[in-house]
Amino acid sequence: MSQKQIQPEDGILVVRDLIKRYGQKLVLDNVSMAIEEGKTTVIIGPSGCGKTVFMKHLIVLERPDSGEVYYRGRRIDRLSERELVPIRRKFGFCFQMGALFDSITVYENIIFPLRQHYKITDWKAVDEMVKQKLALVGMDGYQHYYPANLSGGQRKRVALARAIALNPEIILYDEPTTGLDPITSDVINELILKLQRELKVTSVVVTHDMRSAYKIADRIVMLHHGRIVADGDAEHIRTHPNAIVQQFIQGKVSEAELEALRLGGTKFPTQFMPEDFE
Amino acid sequence: MIEILGERTIACIEGFGRFGRFSGESFRAMIHTFFHPRSYPLVLNQMNVIGVKSVPVVMATGAFVGMILAIQAYGQLASMGLEERLGVLINIAVVKELGPVLAAVMLAGRVGGALTAELGTMNVTEQIAAVQSFGVSPIRYLVAPRVLACLLLTPLLIIYADLLGILGGFFVSVKQLGINPGAYWNYSAMGVELWDVSTGALKGFFFGGAIALISCYKGFTCREGARGVGEACTEAFVGCFISILALNYVFAVVLSAVYKTFWPLRPLI
Ligand SMILES: Nc1ncnc2c1ncn2[C@@H]1O[C@H](COP(=O)(O)OP(=O)(O)OP(=O)(O)O)[C@@H](O)[C@H]1O
Ligand SMILES: [Mg+2]
Repeated sequence: MSQKQIQPEDGILVVRDLIKRYGQKLVLDNVSMAIEEGKTTVIIGPSGCGKTVFMKHLIVLERPDSGEVYYRGRRIDRLSERELVPIRRKFGFCFQMGALFDSITVYENIIFPLRQHYKITDWKAVDEMVKQKLALVGMDGYQHYYPANLSGGQRKRVALARAIALNPEIILYDEPTTGLDPITSDVINELILKLQRELKVTSVVVTHDMRSAYKIADRIVMLHHGRIVADGDAEHIRTHPNAIVQQFIQGKVSEAELEALRLGGTKFPTQFMPEDFE
Repeated sequence: MIEILGERTIACIEGFGRFGRFSGESFRAMIHTFFHPRSYPLVLNQMNVIGVKSVPVVMATGAFVGMILAIQAYGQLASMGLEERLGVLINIAVVKELGPVLAAVMLAGRVGGALTAELGTMNVTEQIAAVQSFGVSPIRYLVAPRVLACLLLTPLLIIYADLLGILGGFFVSVKQLGINPGAYWNYSAMGVELWDVSTGALKGFFFGGAIALISCYKGFTCREGARGVGEACTEAFVGCFISILALNYVFAVVLSAVYKTFWPLRPLI
C-alpha cells in the first residue's frame, strides 16, 4: 500500500510495521494501525487470524519480532517489565478466556488491581465499588463465588468487571460477547458504549459478532492471515468490494470450504458409537 | 550428530541462564517483599499451605528413619558389644544427613509438585498474563511469597524431622531392643553437637530455596495443556531431587573443611 507512513503521534496507541512469528508461522504480517483516543475500534477477522496476538502487543504482553508500539507517542515495546508498570495501569485487559484468578473469590478478583496498587483504608467504599462494577455486568450478588462455580458467560462478565475496576483510560476487550446469550450480549454492548460516552475511554474490541460490531464501532478493522484487509467505519465495511470481507461479514462459507466438507464427509470410515468405549 | 549435541548444549546453557535470571529477579522481589509489610499476608498464607500442612508428613518421615536405623544398626553394634552406643550412630545420621535430606525430598514431592502444578495451570490459563496486565510483577506477587515461605520453613521442618527421628530411634532402641535409656542418652549427648544440628538446619535454608525456585520456574515456563503441566511437574521434581543431593554433597565437603579448621577430628565410637 502506498499510504503515508503512520506517525507515533497519530493516536493514543500506534502500531507500526508489526511482525510476529511463532516458529515458522507468520502470525502478524506488517500490521500498522493508529488507534484514536476516545473512540471504539473493533477488530474482526476469522478465527486464528491473529486478533488476540495483536491485542496482546498493545499492552506488551507479547513483544514484536520487528516493528514498534507507541503509547501517547512514547515507544513501549522495548520497555522493561518495571518500566511498563505505570503504563499498564492505564489499561484494562479483558482476556478471551476470562483469566480470572481461580484460587480467590469474585470479590477478591475485582479488587485485585486496587489492592496491588493502593493501600485500602475505606473498605465500605471498596464494597460499594465492587457492587457497582458487578451490577454493570449483571453479576451483583456473586461476590463470594469462586470462578470455578460460575458458568462460562458469567466468568467472562466478571472478567469484564475486573478489567474496568480501576477506571482505565484504555480498555481492550477480547471477544467480550462470545458465548453470551443475545440479551446479555446487548447489555455488554451498551456497557461499552456507556463507558465510551461517559468516561471517554478508548476501547479496542475484538469480536466475531457483526451485530455488536456495527453497534459499537466508530471504526472496524478486518484482519486476515495477519494482514489488514479492510479499515473504515461500519458503512465502509458493509459495502466493501473485497470478496473476503463480504464473505466474512455475511458469514458465508466459501466454495472451497464446502468442497472440503463434502470430500471429508465421505471419508469417515465408521461412526464412533458410545459402545466403542465400554 | 555433533550438531545435535551442540544444539542441546546451547539449549541447556540457555536454560541455566534463564533460570539464573529468574532466580535473580526472585531475590530482588523477595527483598522488596521483606521491606513491604503489605505483602506479608501473602507470605503467611503460603507458609500455612507450604509449611504447616507439611508437618505431619515430615514428622512421619523422620520417625521412620530413626526407627529403621535402630533396627539395622543394632546387629552390627551388638556383635561388638557396643549396642549402648547405638544412639550416637542414629542421632548423628539423622541430624546431619538423613533428616535434612529426606525432609527436603518429602517437601520437594509435596510442595514442589503442588507449586509447579499451580503456577503451571495459572500460566496456561493466562492468569499469569492477567497479573502482568494489571501492572503487577508476577514474580513479586506469585514467586516471592512462595520462595520466602520455603526458605523460612524448611529449616524448621527439618528440626521437626530430626526430633521425631531421635524419638523414633530412642523408642525402638529402648522398648524394642532393650538398651539402657540412661546409657543411650549419655552416648548420644556426647556424640551430637550443636554444630551438627545447626548445619543440618542451615542446609534446609538452601534446600528450601532450591525447591521453591526450581518449582516456580518450571511452572512459569510450562508448555500448553494438561500434558505440559504434567511434564513440568515431573521435571520440577527431578530437578529438585538432583539439586538437593548435589547441594548436600557440596555442603558435606565445605562443612567438613570448615569443621576441620576449627576443631580436631572427633571419634564417635
Ligand atoms: N503462544 C503461541 N505459540 C504458538 N503459536 C501461537 C501462540 N499464540 C498464538 N499462536 C498462533 O497464532 C495464530 C493466531 O492466534 P490468535 O490467538 O491471535 O487467533 P485469534 O484471531 O484470536 O483467533 P480466535 O478468534 O479463535 O480467538 C494462531 O494460528 C495460533 O496458532
Ligand atoms: Mg482470540
